[in-house]
Amino acid sequence: MYTPVFIDELPDASTVSSRKSELYRLTRARGLTELLLDGTTPWHDRACPGCGQDRSQSGNFSQALIPFHRCSHCNTIYAAKVPAQAPLDALRARLQAERPEAHAEADAGSRQEFEFVSVLNWIRLTEARAATGRPLAQVLDYRFCSENPAWPGAVARLAQNRGWQFLPLAPDSEPLADLARTLRQSPPDAVLLNAELDRSADPRALLQTIRDHAPEGTLVFVATSCADGLEYEILGADSPSFVPLDRLNVFSVKGFEALARGLGYDCLEISTPGRLDAVILQRYFTEIESAAVPFWSGFFREADRDRLRDLQILLQRSLRSGVMRFVLKT
Amino acid sequence: MTLRAAIIGYGKMGQIRHRAMERHGGFEVVAACDTHTGFDAGIPLMTDPMQVYDYDPDVIFCCVPNMMIPDVVCEALKRGKHVFSEKPPGRNSDDVRRMRAAEATRPELVLKFGFNHRFHDAIENARQLIAGGTMGDLYFMRGVYGKAGGANYAQNWRNDPDQSGGGILIDQGIHMLDLFLMFAEGFSEVQSFVQRKFWTDVPVEDNAFALMKSPEGVVASLHSSATQWQHKFILELYTRGGFISVNGILSASGTYGTEVLNVALNRLDQDGNPIPNPESQEIRFTEDRSWDKEIAEFHDAVVHGAPVLCGTSQQALDVMTLVERIYAADTDWTSQRAGHAARAV
Ligand SMILES: [Zn+2]
Repeated sequence: MYTPVFIDELPDASTVSSRKSELYRLTRARGLTELLLDGTTPWHDRACPGCGQDRSQSGNFSQALIPFHRCSHCNTIYAAKVPAQAPLDALRARLQAERPEAHAEADAGSRQEFEFVSVLNWIRLTEARAATGRPLAQVLDYRFCSENPAWPGAVARLAQNRGWQFLPLAPDSEPLADLARTLRQSPPDAVLLNAELDRSADPRALLQTIRDHAPEGTLVFVATSCADGLEYEILGADSPSFVPLDRLNVFSVKGFEALARGLGYDCLEISTPGRLDAVILQRYFTEIESAAVPFWSGFFREADRDRLRDLQILLQRSLRSGVMRFVLKT
Repeated sequence: MTLRAAIIGYGKMGQIRHRAMERHGGFEVVAACDTHTGFDAGIPLMTDPMQVYDYDPDVIFCCVPNMMIPDVVCEALKRGKHVFSEKPPGRNSDDVRRMRAAEATRPELVLKFGFNHRFHDAIENARQLIAGGTMGDLYFMRGVYGKAGGANYAQNWRNDPDQSGGGILIDQGIHMLDLFLMFAEGFSEVQSFVQRKFWTDVPVEDNAFALMKSPEGVVASLHSSATQWQHKFILELYTRGGFISVNGILSASGTYGTEVLNVALNRLDQDGNPIPNPESQEIRFTEDRSWDKEIAEFHDAVVHGAPVLCGTSQQALDVMTLVERIYAADTDWTSQRAGHAARAV
C-alpha cells in the first residue's frame, strides 16, 4: 500500500478565511437545526461509523444542537444522531440553490483550479501505478458536481482521454437506488467520492452500494476530511472547517480503513494531503490571544511561513493532516 | 522446485545473495567458495572453485571480483549450470562477448547479471509512469551517483584497472548507465570528462562526467563520483508532461538514504503553458526489496522458463560498451591511460 505525500505551496491565510464564510456556516447550522426541530424528519442514533464502537464509550460535544462524539477507539468524529438521507439531500439541494457564494467562489480562481487539477492528477498517477492492467476510461463522479458547480466544466477542459459521468444530488429520488442503477447500467472503471462521505448520513451504505454494484476491480477514489489532522486534534469542533452539516462524519485513518476493509475493499493508497492545518492553526492562535495549548500556541504564534510548510509536510508524512484520500478497489 | 545453489565468492555480495536465497525459499545453498574459509557459514566452504561442482549444484552464483567473472561464468555454463553473476559483467565488453559466446552454446541455460537497481521500488514506479505514457515523451535525464571513496581505496582491487577494468564509473556509475539504457534504449553520441582528483596514486578515475544523446534526441547527463564525500543517488527524468525524481536509493550499507520518488504533472495556464512548481507527489520507500525481486526473477526463469527482463547478457553488453565509450570520449584520459599501460609493460 502506498502512502503518498502531496507537496505544494502553502495557501495564504487570507484565502483560508474566505473559504467558509460566516454566512455559510450560519446558514448550514440553521438548516440542520430546523431539520431537527421540524418534527416530521426521522432521525436515528448511531454508533461510530468507522469502527462501530458504541458511542457510550466516547467523548461528546454538541454543535448546532446535534450531539457529536469522538470515538475513543478509532478517533473518528461523528454526529451521533443523523437524519434520513432523503430529507438531508433535500436540505443540501435547497441550500445550494440559495447559495450566492457558490458562484463567487468560482472566482477563487486559480486556487480552486489547482484543487481540481490535484484531484485529476491523483487519478492519473494512481492509474499508472495501480497496475490493474486497464486504463480508467470511465469515471463516475458522485455528487461532487453538485457540491462544486465549476467541477464538471473543469473536468471537460482538463481530463484527457477519460470519460466522465456525473451523478448529481437529486433530492426527490432514492439516492442509493439511483447510484446502484447507474453502476449497473454503465459500469465505470472508477468512482470519485470527493467531499461526499463527510456529508453522508450513512457512509457504510454508500460504500456497500458501490461494492455490490460496481464491477470487480473498480477503483474508488475517496477524499474526505480526517479527524487525525492536527487541525481537528487541537481545535476539534472549534475548527473553522467544522460545519456540522458538512461534517456528519470526520473519519480517522484507522476508522475509515476499518470500514472499507470490513466491506471487502482492498486499500491501495492512503494519504492525508491536507495543506491547511498549519495556516488554520496559526490564524486561530494569532486571532484568539487567550487561546493557550501547551507547546502549540507558542509554536504557531512564532512560526514563519517556512516553518509552517515544514510542519505541514511532516503532518502529511505522518498521516496527520485534516484531509485524507483513500484509493480502494472493489 | 528447490534449486541447489553454489556461491563462488563468499564475501559481502555472496553473503547478501545467500540471505536473499534463504528468504526466497526456493533454493538450497549447498556450498560456497572463497579465499577465506576460516569461519562457520553453516554450509561447506572451500577455496577451490572447481570443488563446488562436487556438490551437484543446479545454479552458480558468481560473486567474485570483475577479472575472475568471465572464467567462472564460462566454466559454469560449460558444465550445464544456470548462472547468476554480479555486475559489472567483467572488466570490458570483450569479457561480456566471451560470456555471451558461452551462453550461445547452451541456450537452455539462464544467465543473469545483478543489475539490481532496476528492481528498486522507486525505479519500478518511475518506469511504470514513463512506459504507461502518463508523463508524455521523455526529454532528458540527469543522474548523480557518488560516494566518499572508501577505506583502503588505493589498495582495493576495485581500483586496480587490471582487476576491475576501471574506477568509480565501472563500479558504481554503471548502475546509473543501466537505468539510462532502460529509459532511453541507446545513445548515438557520447561526450565525457574523466578525472582523477584525490586518489592520484591509483590509475583509475574518481570522477566521470558524461553527456549522451539517444537517436530520438533524449539527452542524459551522468556524474559518477568517488569524491562526493556524501553518499548520494539522484535520478531525474523530465518529460513533456512533468517530471520524476528519485532521491536516495536503499542499499546494503543503508547510507544512500531513504528512497524517495517525487512525481509531478504540470499544471497549465489558460494558454496551455506549464505554470512553474506544480504539485508533486512524494512516495518514500523504506524497505529494500530489490534483492528479493531479483532472486525471484532468476528462480522463475530457471524453474518456469520465464524471460529474464533485467540483467540479460545483451543489457550487460550494452552497458559495458557505453562505459567504454565514456572512457574513450575523453581523449586526455585515454592518452593518460595509454601512458600508464606502457609504463606497466
Ligand atoms: Zn471508531
